[in-house]
Amino acid sequence: MAAVKQTVEHVEALEKYQHGFVTDIAQDFAPKGLNADIVRFISGKKNEPEWMLQWRLDAFERWLVMDEPQWAKVHFPRIDYQDSYYYAAPSEKKGPKSLDEVDPEILAVYAKLGIPLKEQAVLAGVEGAPRYAVDAVFDSVSVVTTFKKELAQVGVIFCSMSEAIREHPELVKQYLGSVVPVSDNYYACLNAAVFSDGSFVYVPPGVRCPMELSTYFRINAENSGQFERTLIIADKGAYVSYLEGCTAPMRDENQLHAAVVELVLLDEAEIKYSTVQNWYPGDPVTGKGGIYNFVTKRADCRGDRSKVSWTQVETGSAITWKYPSCVLRGEGSVGEFYSIAITNGRQQADTGTKMIHLGANTRSRVISKGISAGKSSNTYRGLVSAHPKAKGARNFTQCDSLLIGKTSAAHTVPYIEARNGSCVFEHEATTTKLSEDQLFYAMQRGLSQEEAVQLLVNGFVKDVLQELPMEFAVEAQKLVAISLEGSVG
Amino acid sequence: MSLATALKSGDVTLLPGKRDEDWKWTDLRGLLRVLPAASPASDAALPLGPFGDLGEVEIALVNGRLRGDPAALILAAGQSRVLRLRFVSTAEGSHAAHISIELGEGAALTLLESYEGLADGYVADAGLEITLAKGARLERVVVAADAEGAVSVSSTVVILAPEARFAQTLLTDGARRQRIETRIAHPGALAEVRLDGAYLLAGKRHADLTTVVEHQGVDGTTSQLTKGVVRDQSRGVFQGRIVVEEGADRTDARMRHNALILSDKAEIDAKPELLIFADDVQCAHGNTIGALDEEALFYMRQRGLPETEARALLIEAFVGQVIERIDHEPARDLALAWAADRLRA
Repeated sequence: MAAVKQTVEHVEALEKYQHGFVTDIAQDFAPKGLNADIVRFISGKKNEPEWMLQWRLDAFERWLVMDEPQWAKVHFPRIDYQDSYYYAAPSEKKGPKSLDEVDPEILAVYAKLGIPLKEQAVLAGVEGAPRYAVDAVFDSVSVVTTFKKELAQVGVIFCSMSEAIREHPELVKQYLGSVVPVSDNYYACLNAAVFSDGSFVYVPPGVRCPMELSTYFRINAENSGQFERTLIIADKGAYVSYLEGCTAPMRDENQLHAAVVELVLLDEAEIKYSTVQNWYPGDPVTGKGGIYNFVTKRADCRGDRSKVSWTQVETGSAITWKYPSCVLRGEGSVGEFYSIAITNGRQQADTGTKMIHLGANTRSRVISKGISAGKSSNTYRGLVSAHPKAKGARNFTQCDSLLIGKTSAAHTVPYIEARNGSCVFEHEATTTKLSEDQLFYAMQRGLSQEEAVQLLVNGFVKDVLQELPMEFAVEAQKLVAISLEGSVG
Repeated sequence: MSLATALKSGDVTLLPGKRDEDWKWTDLRGLLRVLPAASPASDAALPLGPFGDLGEVEIALVNGRLRGDPAALILAAGQSRVLRLRFVSTAEGSHAAHISIELGEGAALTLLESYEGLADGYVADAGLEITLAKGARLERVVVAADAEGAVSVSSTVVILAPEARFAQTLLTDGARRQRIETRIAHPGALAEVRLDGAYLLAGKRHADLTTVVEHQGVDGTTSQLTKGVVRDQSRGVFQGRIVVEEGADRTDARMRHNALILSDKAEIDAKPELLIFADDVQCAHGNTIGALDEEALFYMRQRGLPETEARALLIEAFVGQVIERIDHEPARDLALAWAADRLRA
């Protein structure tokens, strides 16, 4: 019940986006704008080998001739890609050897975030702190990587992408861009050209990663788009659970975030990828200032009987454009997608998943809960497809939308493509408003209207919250509360 | 972007293709590299169509040319009528036809509409505009029996007034490429829509049932049931969109699409969309695609039915749920027989 109590307290306490603050740390910027020289600059700053620079330049050339996708149900002014910074790094010249050397302001940022994962203790190196490996991304450069040794003992590689490029080039060369090809889409291609940093995970055969891996993303520098690139490889029979959480400070100008996440699963491997996203959604009245979140996330179940599970709680960003996908190639592989997307104010979310069944007896499950309040728009867009070879493919999809307020919008746009006679696809969707009867009942029992809404909404999203790792579930429940703050009455 | 504008202008680039979101599964531009010349006129007498001699009046469009008195398409207030409307293609080449139907206040029409391919290889476009005044009722039963090599597009726009009732059942066995599209402007205001369809495809046939219902006002209901059976290398497409505009409260809209896929080379593509801008609504859609229920089949064979018979019975019962919702009894019987013919072929 602690979580429920916390939820209630949070709703009372919260008037505004708590995480809206800008930390002033000396930044090392690349000049504004985007051209081949900027790409060289980024690559040079990161001491990358020649092959990586070529990869980036190749991506940049392809990006130049691509068009921005227009099909999503989101509206925003055209982005001027020349009016952005593509590289910003905290200005320490050398990598910190211990936490004491980390800029205290950066640590203060974590403190302000009130992260429930006890990252404070972890980052501060407190004895007996829970064992979460944290690869904290502060703007574009990984600042601290903890628990590396313990992971190394079992052979797990968990480091920043730049480090992986230097130290494990064979793995990076083999897998980078193999799930999301360079020219997969406009934003992924841009990411390939200018990606700043991100996490790299390799779990060797048969290893069950001894701890949950987590990354905190945080956009900090004024006007600097962030281009994370994450690559997770689970070798045969390996298991890893990865957590990702995001907050960003308040500012006036829209920020672009175009990340790419690639998951590779070999035989009998399993990856659980959980995201809680609460980036600044923009001014509730004008919609000004929010983050643009254009992310490409994809898992490739190459091995037989492999399993991938995406869980996401999307509450922030002015615009969310995100479709974590599963390519179910291996025989008997399993894809899961659990999502809560909440929009309030002027937020726009166009999110969903793709389940691409290529192998025989592949199974997938999609549970999506969308909540829209205020003047926001929330779209579920998903694809389920079965290739002729995907004999016995099965999918179950459930998309429920909840509307709060007369001016909000909820859309469901599923695409279903069945190309063989033995697949079974089921899809159910409903759209309703909060039940007056249930609200009345709860309020009659002494709950305020806001509390009653909390209670009903938490019930509505329970199926998904259950899928989150414990420590995330608490944070997520709080977020659900915060996001719907002020949407009724 | 439509077949009609392409035929009119002779400009093949105006054809919709797979790059157009609404046509991604029914690519005309990739299929038709050149537009065929206009079909010749024909005076030959027509054989009986799928609806035989049911009803009081017949209007036919033979290769796009009107036969019969179009006055029958306008019903004054309170009038009622059973009308056969036949789109017949008797020759190769291309043709287009456009028809307007108007129902006055409280009028009632049973529209028995058929698409008949008496020749093959034609490219046909049919456009209908149907307007219902307050309290008018229209039941539309469509049997699309196009030829195997035909390219056929039929698009209908329905505009409803308050308290009007529009019910539709489409049956088709497809064509080389076929699209039957229905767009309904739904004012709410106690107007009711039933929008059913079934596609029964075999060989290399293709059928695309597309519907758009826009709820513009309060208190509207829409009930939609589409079923499909595909075998061999055929391809069925269902695109259903229900839009509930801002302020269209107390809308009750339900959409179902269930399809049976009976061969490994057949394909079904479905996109059941809900676009909702109002909060006090009840909207749902369901979509299932799968093979015949093996357990039901086993049960029936256990009771002594041969497998082919058991399969046929199960499929007929599956499709029958759509056809049974037809109100006009003689039309329902003809539709059932027509569907059974297709399923047992």
